[in-house]
Amino acid sequence: MNSYIRKNLVLLITLAVIIALFMAAAQNMDPKDFVITLLRGLSVGALTFLVASGFSLIFGLLDILNLAHGTLFMIGAYIGWTVYVRPDTFVDLLTPFALVSSGFALRDVYPLLAARIRLGLRMKWILPWALLLVSILLFGFILPRYPIANWNLDNYAQSPVTYSFMADQGTRLPPPVVAFDKISPFLAISGLLLASLLGTFGLSLFGDNVQQTPRISWRNYAGFTLLLIIALVGFLFNDALTQFLIGLSTGWLFFIAVLVATLGGAGLGALMEATLIRPLYSRPIYQLMLTLGLSAIGIEMVRAIWGQPEFTMPKPDFFNGSGAGCPATTFSGWWVNHCSTILLLDGRVRVYNEIFIPLVGLVVLIAVWILLQRTRLGMTIRAGVQDREMVEALGINVQRVFTLVFALGVGLAALGGVLAAPSMGLSNAMGESLLLNALIALAIGGLTSYPGAALGSMLVGLIQQFIIKYGQIGIPIPFTDIIFKPTPPLVPASTVLLMVIILLILPNGLLGKKE
Amino acid sequence: MEYILDVHNIHTFIGQYHILQGADVRVTKGSITALLGRNGAGKTTTLKSILGLTPPREGKVIFENREVQGMRSFDIAGMGIGFVPEHRAIFRDLSVEENLKLAERRTGDYARKHDFIFDLFPDLKRLITLPGTSLSGGQQQMLAIARSLVADNHLLLIDEPSEGLAPIIIEHMMSAIRLLSKESTVVLVEQNFHVASQLAEYYVIIEEGRSVKEGQMKDLINDKTTIHRYLGAA
Repeated sequence: MNSYIRKNLVLLITLAVIIALFMAAAQNMDPKDFVITLLRGLSVGALTFLVASGFSLIFGLLDILNLAHGTLFMIGAYIGWTVYVRPDTFVDLLTPFALVSSGFALRDVYPLLAARIRLGLRMKWILPWALLLVSILLFGFILPRYPIANWNLDNYAQSPVTYSFMADQGTRLPPPVVAFDKISPFLAISGLLLASLLGTFGLSLFGDNVQQTPRISWRNYAGFTLLLIIALVGFLFNDALTQFLIGLSTGWLFFIAVLVATLGGAGLGALMEATLIRPLYSRPIYQLMLTLGLSAIGIEMVRAIWGQPEFTMPKPDFFNGSGAGCPATTFSGWWVNHCSTILLLDGRVRVYNEIFIPLVGLVVLIAVWILLQRTRLGMTIRAGVQDREMVEALGINVQRVFTLVFALGVGLAALGGVLAAPSMGLSNAMGESLLLNALIALAIGGLTSYPGAALGSMLVGLIQQFIIKYGQIGIPIPFTDIIFKPTPPLVPASTVLLMVIILLILPNGLLGKKE
Repeated sequence: MEYILDVHNIHTFIGQYHILQGADVRVTKGSITALLGRNGAGKTTTLKSILGLTPPREGKVIFENREVQGMRSFDIAGMGIGFVPEHRAIFRDLSVEENLKLAERRTGDYARKHDFIFDLFPDLKRLITLPGTSLSGGQQQMLAIARSLVADNHLLLIDEPSEGLAPIIIEHMMSAIRLLSKESTVVLVEQNFHVASQLAEYYVIIEEGRSVKEGQMKDLINDKTTIHRYLGAA
């Protein structure tokens, strides 16, 4: 115990100072204000944590600073919105998406196929480009003709803003009817499948070291088969699925939206790692530029698809009750009426924003902790952070672990995005501020430390919310009559200040390891 | 003569440096073969080239009658090669037991090899819950060797097992290696000629990235001129 204190002296002092600051803050505040501010801080902290933990996992294992992480957070929010507000669009998109990505699921099989084909030097150079070109042409021909029920950015009455507003009022606009009239369904489906297979096979031929895989089993085909099944089900039961989703209660629909956004984010992450980042492992600067570029591309794409105006995502009814019995005073009262707010120490607390989001953050924190500490995958990740080469020398496919971790990290960010959407609203810029928050949180907590990410995120969220609150009520400076009111620009500055102070005392962050 | 491993004329580059310039290593099944040579001669790179960690650009690596050069490292290791690297590479964030469990290639490997490993290194048994950081150099070396024994490896590549260890621990390590060589073939990189000469039956001398001499250890021990020329005063 004694030696523990001595070893972690600086950390303990830092924590004590921070706790003392918060206690002092509580002195000048109404208890109800304090509780609300605390919960708001935890809510921002939870969202920050979802971005920061994924970022830190990816950086720890792959040494990649994924600057696109904030954008992926935003994309998660937009995916979730689409599933939640426009289930018909989501169902229409299932088939083409599954088909386009099906080719990537076969990447373990391609080297074997490539080894069978003997080519001359010139053909070896031409073939990948030719395959890629054919694939792009096919995609370019089919995708614009593929019928997808969509909103219309140019027509305000059919824009995402209007759809969100109507959904919030409890009515759904009748979805526009679309049908295969520009292209035959058979041609569309087989064409997309062919284009995906040719394109991904072409991609796998780039680079000269095509390595042989000795064992091919049914597992190598499992992902491909699954995607084909999804595509077929999405195509054959399109109407039934749409009706089913629209008929669901908003609570379940929201749950599905969260699930789809998280899995979609994870899939996007895996795709990003496998196609774009993997060729650049030995070039860190290029990776940095790549993720920065992807971030800009992602924002522009979101702008093109969902438009520039901000809009909201309606809260599910589960958290949005009002009328008799609201705001609830007890938890059981809340459970009966599903009030949007609950009274804690006479303060009105928004249940979704200030209780649900921190709870999800806590659940994710524990779940990922268990994954890291108690599973073989977690063991491999912890080992790989230290020494990739040795993990590989034990006969473990580190590449696959890399892809999984990238998918996990991006999935966590996307989960954060879709959770944030009903409380923050959707905007093209929502990811950037969160990424900045997350980077500061990681600097405070320790860049590759998982508990550090949690602690740092919590501190960042709390400090920001307390500063905002003091902007309203002011801080009386001791021994003077001055009441100091922090202005809004001080909100980001305060966290940066905390970061600077902590880094001066502890260069590796609160829980970072000394290198 | 049956060779479990036949490294034939490999050339390996690290960055722009041409480290191995035609190394040949033949390893007889069931034997201990020592790679000898001065610092920087390319012994460690030879081991890493076998595993594909530094893939050779030219030449062949034949393990159990299969060409493995160009395959991915984890696939090569998965065919039954264990690796004990120079600086042991114990995973600090993992406990001793997790270090061993991570080396499983099929579920249950650790349980199957449990008795064999702890008969060989009884000291490890009481350290099992400790984190990898808290081990001494000798304990780390034992763990690194034990880790290479968890999976069914027919060939062990052991790099500098005696480096930085006290004489009494070196004795212990040598008897352990002798015991485990009854189960699998061993390729040893060893600076300490005294250790190498007592353990190995065969030797290969590597000089400036080329294998310059090979044969039986018992002949080398009496060949003072060769020892002096390639290994310095030993």
